[in-house]
Amino acid sequence: MASISLSNVHKFYPNGYAAVRDVSLDIKDGEFMILLGPSGCGKSTTLRMIAGLETISKGDLHIGGARMNDIDPADRDVAIVFQNYALYPHMTVIDNLSFGLRLRGVGRAVIDQRVANIADMLGIGELLSRKPAQLSGGQRQRVALGRALVREPKAFLLDEPLSNLDAKLRSAMRTELIKLHRTLGTTIVHVTHDQVEAMTMGERICIMKDGVIVQVGAPMEVYRNPVNTFVAGFLASPPMNLLRSRLSAQSLSLGDTVLALPPALGQAFAAHAEREVIAGMRPEDFHLKADAAASTAPVKVHAVTTEVLGPEVILVATVSGEQGAEIHIRCPRDFRAKPGEIVIFHYDVSQLQLFDPETTYALKRPVQI
Amino acid sequence: MTLAADDRRLNDLPRAEQTAVERRDRMFGWLIASPSLGLLFLVILFPVFWALYTSVHDYTLIAPNFDTFNGIDNYTKALGDPEFRHTLWLTAFFVAAVVLLEFALGFLVALMLNSVERFKAIYYAILLCPLLMNPVIVGLIWRMFLHPSLGIVNYLLSLVGIDPVNWLGSTKVALWTIVMVDIWHQVSFMIVLLLAGLSALPREPYEAARVDGASALRSFWHITVPLMLPVIAVTLLIRLIFAVKTYDLVYIMTRGGPGVATDLVSYFIYRTAFVGLNIGEASAMSAILLAVIMGLTVWLHRYMRSLT
Ligand SMILES: Nc1ncnc2c1ncn2[C@@H]1O[C@H](COP(=O)(O)OP(=O)(O)OP(=O)(O)O)[C@@H](O)[C@H]1O
Ligand SMILES: [Mg+2]
Repeated sequence: MASISLSNVHKFYPNGYAAVRDVSLDIKDGEFMILLGPSGCGKSTTLRMIAGLETISKGDLHIGGARMNDIDPADRDVAIVFQNYALYPHMTVIDNLSFGLRLRGVGRAVIDQRVANIADMLGIGELLSRKPAQLSGGQRQRVALGRALVREPKAFLLDEPLSNLDAKLRSAMRTELIKLHRTLGTTIVHVTHDQVEAMTMGERICIMKDGVIVQVGAPMEVYRNPVNTFVAGFLASPPMNLLRSRLSAQSLSLGDTVLALPPALGQAFAAHAEREVIAGMRPEDFHLKADAAASTAPVKVHAVTTEVLGPEVILVATVSGEQGAEIHIRCPRDFRAKPGEIVIFHYDVSQLQLFDPETTYALKRPVQI
Repeated sequence: MTLAADDRRLNDLPRAEQTAVERRDRMFGWLIASPSLGLLFLVILFPVFWALYTSVHDYTLIAPNFDTFNGIDNYTKALGDPEFRHTLWLTAFFVAAVVLLEFALGFLVALMLNSVERFKAIYYAILLCPLLMNPVIVGLIWRMFLHPSLGIVNYLLSLVGIDPVNWLGSTKVALWTIVMVDIWHQVSFMIVLLLAGLSALPREPYEAARVDGASALRSFWHITVPLMLPVIAVTLLIRLIFAVKTYDLVYIMTRGGPGVATDLVSYFIYRTAFVGLNIGEASAMSAILLAVIMGLTVWLHRYMRSLT
């Protein structure tokens, strides 16, 4: 078990491409850290630098307090699940799982015990004598995960370890990983694209974009207070609606709707009055009924289409008087609307976020209102 | 059911259950293979059968006819001939030495070249030079190099104070000299084939092994060797078969001498046929050699298969 600390880490690939720039991140001992970001933003590169498979071009990496830049991967004592699995093609599943333990001189009995446990947990007990070529993608992924989990390293580095599993298995594996983290308490860095994994598994989320860290924080904190429009538009599905609007003292104009701001918000944003802003409104903050306690304000929208998901319905609509920009609204499961139909929603103004259209960063708002 | 079992089932399907598409594919396969099959039959199968037919007749260049059938006489005579048996053992020794040394050296150089990043093409070109030479030329060049009094090798040795060696004239040294020249000539073949195999290996398992805690040596032993086994098997097989046929080097450099010190079996068969004029017995010897090579091939193939 160990903390992992990256300070001002850069990665320049041989072709000159700067895949990771000035990344500083302190992962605490025993923490479950999520790396989240769009494809190509440098998540795998970061993970591979921690594992020692890519050299660190600039900056320092410490694991458990010791500088690791020049330490061989074998001596860093981390286990990694590769995005492309990287199973040993000539070994059976059981040999794939036990290879690392055998290399480290663990006794036969202990190996058998641990392999059996992990195989059971991942549901690959029947596949033990097969070679990787005889497995499906999801089965290979579970073997890859198992190969990392049988070891008892200082840290687990998981590069999208559940990406290829079906929804049911994925949710089961999610639970298993959380339980495992609870019992072992090992530091975990988990790379994912999956919103649910990001929100439910980690103690903190680190959001990356174009090789730099944009925001680090607890899931709900990042969800409530995205630092900029990128995070706001990336986290959760459907993500926060981002609409150009005009801020006046104590009110916000969206198309032909004027939202009165609660006094606390009005005061907080007073410095930015009379200018263009980007309004961030979560799809779940629109309600069909007004709620006096929650300071809601009516918003008139034109329905474009509905996505019936089962437990809920997502309404895609445009705000009246506001051309082009579509917003998503989370509605109860029995909600229906015809295209073009006008619907009045009650938006919970206390949840409003505002962003600077030039810098894309959030305007400061009170922490609690 | 495993995947392999699935594959087998497809091939074992009775004719009636094959689809029209499968039948058409099969017909087309035969169609495009037939010219080469015909050619193979003409230049390989026909001579082989002719030799087998000859080997059971008393066929000499003095009386070149199939009038006298003599059954297995040629075979018993050949196997009873101590000189033929000597050449067989000598060839076995030569083949083992050449193949093992070339493999060890070739694998080492291939591993080194595989990790080289710059000037790879230049090393490659240099290595391929000997391979492009005709064995007769190789023999002639080395016969000059190794001339006891005029050759450059002994001259160079004299510079560092080593007495001249009678490379081709000493019964103790001559076979090793041939082995050495053969290595010089053929080791690139091993290197090229093994290097092709090495560069086709996936990179990912090595990364996994590094994180799993494997040293370079262990990675080599647990990953490179097992993944390379098919390539190694093919390389060894081809080299083995070619080494058994070694003839030109001996013919040019020693004529089997001194005495019978380098009398490899191919050269001996050639002498039986065209100096002794006994085609029947030479054919019998060839048939024995063929059987030995086939046996070896099957064994090596099976053995390598059992390893993977
Ligand atoms: N060997 C390399 N040489 C040059 N550029 C590379 C190399 N490997 C990756 N890159 C580039 O570095 C960037 C980051 O790659 P990385 O694999 O870390 O992305 P990622 O965040 O893991 O993406 P994904 O979610 O698609 O896996 C990408 O733009 C990629 O094109
Ligand atoms: Mg990746």
